[in-house]
Amino acid sequence: MENNNPLSPHLQIYKWQISSLLSITHRIVGVINFFAIILICLWATLIIFGQNGYELTQVILDSFFGKFLIIALCWTFSFHILNELRHLFWDLGYGFDLKIAKITGVLALIGSFILTILFYIIGRNFI
Amino acid sequence: MAQFNLPQNSKIEVGKYFKDKTNSKNLRKINVYRWDPSSGKNPRVDTFEVDMDSCGPKVLDILFKIKNEIDPSLTFRRSCAHGVCGSCAMNIDGVNGLACIKSHTDIKGDLNIYPLPHLKVVKDLIGDLTTLYKQYESIQPWLKVDQTGEEKIELKQSQKEREKLDGYYECILCACCSTSCPSYWWNGDKYLGPAVLLQAYRWINDSRDGDKKERLKKVADELKLYRCHTIMNCTNSCPKGLNPAKAIGSIKKMLATS
Repeated sequence: MENNNPLSPHLQIYKWQISSLLSITHRIVGVINFFAIILICLWATLIIFGQNGYELTQVILDSFFGKFLIIALCWTFSFHILNELRHLFWDLGYGFDLKIAKITGVLALIGSFILTILFYIIGRNFI
Repeated sequence: MAQFNLPQNSKIEVGKYFKDKTNSKNLRKINVYRWDPSSGKNPRVDTFEVDMDSCGPKVLDILFKIKNEIDPSLTFRRSCAHGVCGSCAMNIDGVNGLACIKSHTDIKGDLNIYPLPHLKVVKDLIGDLTTLYKQYESIQPWLKVDQTGEEKIELKQSQKEREKLDGYYECILCACCSTSCPSYWWNGDKYLGPAVLLQAYRWINDSRDGDKKERLKKVADELKLYRCHTIMNCTNSCPKGLNPAKAIGSIKKMLATS
């Protein structure tokens, strides 16, 4: 017999925790990075086609949208790298303690912004 | 595919408003999820104005006050009222917990009380946990030994071996963790969920058990075990302060290293 009783609310009422928020962000950012890598490959391929291709990407990436895209991707990769580190430690059996998981979560988030700025500064000044 | 919205028959409507009749100055608004199977209507959220001057410190005290003094039809499960039986597990202020040990003074503003998330509602705050109990049965939560009737001997356990069960044997199966897990919401029919996996680990980890390998083999499944993505809502919600995420991590590690 099929149960036609209502389903109790879930996503609608459950309070976000730091851990759950970072977990879903990790997923979304992972998907974004997947597409970002395709973009980077396309970019590299365009360069092979000579000066015209290079200049085209130069114009696109130098625009406001292009800069936004680059900085955003710097962040998505930074976050994914740092949060993946947490996952690696979890797989080794460390960092499950609630307090530690919260601290590492916040550190990964703050670290991702610092890393983004670092990427940007290094990219601007040294490369 | 996971359904993120509530189905049509589960959409929550605005319910009744029970105004205070005691003329108390210390009122608090309590929003409670209601569903009556005999009404044929959608669930609703009723609001009760409760006099906090004459109310005990826990959320369960509020529920009892409402049931005794305002609306006797309010339905919820409870038994021991000391955080031992796990009957009064519900969603309080957006996080799962036991109403009997959760202090309402810790929560600011209006108090929202819902049943455990993503369950078929039986009535008001009671969710149907049949699937969870079936899954619990599937991990065979009893000691398995290869002893025949005649040679039955006492199974000794050293203090160290016993300590390995600390943090796992305390689980009261209130289902707070499993119903807080988004992975369990979307795959509850196949994924075992934190509560059952913690129990599975408790038996795998028992030095007296003779079926460790078989137990590990049974649980090593893409859907049964690896749907855990370390979201950690389980550990965040456990009213007994246990760590299901760690238990699941330990099973994964055992499988990876054995």
